[in-house]
This record gives sequence, C-alpha cells and structure tokens, in this order.
Amino acid sequence: MMSASFYASYLQAQGIKKGDVCAIIIRHNRDFYPLYMGISALGALPSVLAYPNPRLHPDKFRFGLEGMARRSGLDWVLTEAELEPIVRPLLLRQGSTIGGIFTPMEWGEKMEGVKEQFEHPEVTPNEPCLLQHSSGTTGLQKGVVLSHSAVLEHVKRYGDSVGLGEWDKIVNWLPLYHDMGLIAAFYVPLTAGIPVVQIDPFEWVVAPILLLEALSQEKGTMSWLPNFAYNLLADRVHEEDLETIRLDSVRMIINCSEPVRAESHDKFFRRFSSYGIKREALAACYAMAETTFAATQTAAGTPASEISLDREMLSEGIVRLAKKNDEARICVSSGPPISGCDLRIVDDSGKDIPEGRVGEIAIRSVSLFTEYRNSPDKTAEVLKDGWYFSGDYGFLHRGECYVIGRKKDIIIVAGKNIYPEDIEDAVSQIKGVLPGRVVAFGIEDISTGTEQICVVAETREENEEEKKRLRMVIIEAGMQIDITISRVYLVPPRWLIKSSSGKPSRRENKERALALEI
Amino acid sequence: MITERLKKVILGELNLDDYYFQDSTTANLVPGWDSLKHIAILASIEKEYGIRFKSLEVIRLKNLGQLQELVARKVEEESERKGE
Repeated sequence: MMSASFYASYLQAQGIKKGDVCAIIIRHNRDFYPLYMGISALGALPSVLAYPNPRLHPDKFRFGLEGMARRSGLDWVLTEAELEPIVRPLLLRQGSTIGGIFTPMEWGEKMEGVKEQFEHPEVTPNEPCLLQHSSGTTGLQKGVVLSHSAVLEHVKRYGDSVGLGEWDKIVNWLPLYHDMGLIAAFYVPLTAGIPVVQIDPFEWVVAPILLLEALSQEKGTMSWLPNFAYNLLADRVHEEDLETIRLDSVRMIINCSEPVRAESHDKFFRRFSSYGIKREALAACYAMAETTFAATQTAAGTPASEISLDREMLSEGIVRLAKKNDEARICVSSGPPISGCDLRIVDDSGKDIPEGRVGEIAIRSVSLFTEYRNSPDKTAEVLKDGWYFSGDYGFLHRGECYVIGRKKDIIIVAGKNIYPEDIEDAVSQIKGVLPGRVVAFGIEDISTGTEQICVVAETREENEEEKKRLRMVIIEAGMQIDITISRVYLVPPRWLIKSSSGKPSRRENKERALALEI
Repeated sequence: MITERLKKVILGELNLDDYYFQDSTTANLVPGWDSLKHIAILASIEKEYGIRFKSLEVIRLKNLGQLQELVARKVEEESERKGE
C-alpha cells in the first residue's frame, strides 16, 4: 500500500487527476499492482490493455490503440520502455486524446525522492472506477465503464458465492486485461485480504505445469480457467513432471469465459484425480465484463451439474432430456444467479419465454456496468430498463443457468474474444481476394477444448500453385493482427451467400463451407 | 542450422508444405505457430526424438537455432543415459 501511495504521489505530480483514463500496457511485473492501486487512489480510471504479442505487427497495434483511444478517450498511456517508441507517434496525431506516455517500470531512482503525499479526491459510489476493454484490433473494442459501487458489491457477493474465506489462496495465470483475471484474481483477493500467486501468462502458456506447481507448493485452494486450459493441462503435462505435485488443497477450479465443455472436465478429472483433484472441485461460472464479472456460479463443494439433452430438440430451442437412443448433447451448468443478480430468458423481441426453452440471457445486477464509454448507441442496444441483454443463448433448468451458444458472431479462442470483422477486414485487403467477399467464423475443436478460426474468401485465381500461395498470405495476414487462422477455403466469385443486409452471411456460409469437406 | 528432421516435424504439426527456417527464425514469424501450437510442436519433437523438455528450458528458448541446440543436447544426454 505504501508503494501504491508513492505511485499516486508521483502520478499526481505528472498531471494525472480524477476521471482521467490511464491505459496500462505492462507485462507481468510485481510493480504493476501498486501502480494500478496508485492510479485508482487518484480517482483516475485504470484500463489494463493486452501487451502486444510479438506476432502483432507494430502498425496494427498502434492502429488498434488509436481506435481505442478515440473511442474510449484514453488520457494517458503507461507502458514499458520497449513499447514507448511504437506508442509515441499517437501523441502527435491530430485530435489525439492522449496527453502523455509514461514508463513507470523505469522510475526506480526518480521515485526515491518522492514524498508520500497526494490529494485523495472525494469519490462517490456511482462514479467510474475502471474501464474494461474487450479484445479486437479494428477499434471495435467497447470500453466497459464500471462504478465503484458495482465493483465493491461484486467482490463481496461473488466472494460469498464461492465461500471465500481466510483459508483460501488463489493461484492465477490469467492476464489482468481480462475480467476473469482482473476481478476474480486481483480485486476479489485484494478486498478480501486473501493471498494470491500470480504467474506470467506468457510463461504459463509454454509451460502449463507452472500452475500445478504453484497450486501444489503454495497449497492453493482456487483458480479460474477458461475451458481450453483444462485440455491443455490434461494433454500436455508430462507424467514425470507431476511426481512431486499434490492438488489436495484445491477446493475449486472454476471454468469460465468460454463455453464449458463436459468432456474437458472429464478429461481433467481423469488425469488429475490421482494427484488429489476432487470431482466437486470442478466448478463453473457465467461471467462478462458488463456485469463486473460473474452473473452465475455453481456452489462450492458440489461439481457443476450436467444434463444430457436431446440434441435435435435443442437445435430447435427446446430443452428435453435425452432418451436412450437420442443423439445427446451434454450441457454443463454455470450455476444459479449470484446474490444481487437476476436472470431472464427472452425471445428476439425481449419477451420472457418459459423454462425449458432456449433464448437470449438477460441479466439485472447490482454490479451492472454504467455504459460503454462514449457510445450511447451501443449502450442503448444492450441495456434496457436496467436489464443487460447479453447476446448469449441459454436456458434455465432447476434454477441454474446453462449457456449453449451466442447470438453475436464473436469467436472465442482460448478465452479471447475475436471479432470476425477484424479478420475479414484484414483478409479483404489482400491482393487476389475479392474485397468484401470474405467471411470468418469459428468451429468447435474438441481436442483443444476451444474454437478454431476458418476463413472463406472469394478469388478469381484458378491456378492451384497460386491458390496455395494465397492461402499462405491469408494466414500471414491473420498473424499480423495476432490471430491464428486454422483453415482457409478459397472459393470462386459469387460463391458466398448474402444475408438480407447485402453482406455475406457468416452462419449460412459456414454451413456451406463445412459441407465442402464432406 | 536446422536439420531436415526437425523441420519436417515442425512443418507437419503446422500443416505447412514448406518454410525457410533459419537459426534466427522466431515462432512469431512462422504461419500458424502461436502459443497453443507451440506446446503441440514441442510435444511432437519430444515424441520424434524420444526426449523430454523441462519447463525452464522451454521458457528460455528465443529462436529456432536455440531449439535445435536444445534438441541436440537432449538427444546426447538421452543416449548417454541409455549407454550407462
């Protein structure tokens, strides 16, 4: 806390004041935490952004940041020295909102003479506390404004929903630009006084054993994981690396931010039950930045419920338990609403539909976001009469929420939201691809427990060698915006089906492209 | 110098026909080689050569040349271990 006060004092001297938006683009670093708290102490709004992956082209990163600055009105950028030259040109752009760029991790000596003295402004509960951004590169990212009241209500109520107590210790590898990392593994332990072990996300993804080592050595009790991580841990950790691992202390591993897959839970349990993982530790929650974090959570001490449904009926929106010979889909519960949160299932016109039917999930919560910053139209589209219309499809069964799909076309790869528009835009600009005649979509990949990205692009090219080259160029265009395209379908002109809006329809063309493989 | 054997394993995992690998090549330059694929590639290399990488060894890798060196060292260690 003392270090946070020093940061607050120094930041205030640099001109940062209440209400300013401070983008933080800093990798895993112990000084990140006091810096974040220092910003918050000034009544400014911290907004953690992803540090660019080396794959992301610097121009694309700058372009995305510029779009975000324009949309969200970023006032300051706090980053690392290495990134500073890439960000600095944004300062000079006409109409730029960015007032300055700082590299706080270099402040060691400068901070020595700083007196711990800053003016702590008065802040009321409904004033903004922080700004969360979704993924994306074309400036489509929306800045989710959360008030102090929303965050404080949430950490208390969510903590209660998982039975958080002084006996807990959280182990986390999730990046803090993600709501799951920021709220569940930073704000919740911070406000509850619970220890947390933070692992570098870049290191974890190349060495997933780090999470198990930390849980074992530190006797961790809780961790939050996106679905793909269950598969990754179960498939990619060597038996010999597990010799000293014991996971008996773990009471909850909470699956969140991707559709929860029953087979991922089964696989994880089979692999680690002999190391102390209990079936009842496999929990799930349904969460989003717009509700601060969780809307629902399965109870501590019981495994997430699973039900086997008639797949054909489900595709028609009817929830019916599968009979012996039906083709079944196993759905995993994300639990009942947490305290302070109500759920409704509604049809396309926003009217309630009865239990047993699939519809859009609408949420009312004491922790609802205030607005998408500077986007009243986007806010009004989803926030009506105090209810947030999530764009997720699901149903309620015995009071618990099951999430089964999305109304929006967002693709979720390894917990990261990806806008198909970003990919389509990048691919459309490639020579040889017909502009605007591209669709991108996600397909389920059972082996990795997440989605794969596919692209269908129209081209006049007929030569097979040239088409091979074009496929490679398309994959490389994806890399430049840090997106891995797994499959490319090249099709002749006028192949793509248009929707009523005149644009190629993602849903229909997905079915058509996948049929090509059969 | 990246051996044909290592190259073949990597290309197979990435589903690529060919790619010009150099010692200085980093994963971010190779189509399809992202962090999730990285783990799958390392697993394929382990299987191909009958070796096991340690977490720290993997975290420290900076480029393909270092990966090639690590593979060579591991293969040598493995053959010494078997020879004992």
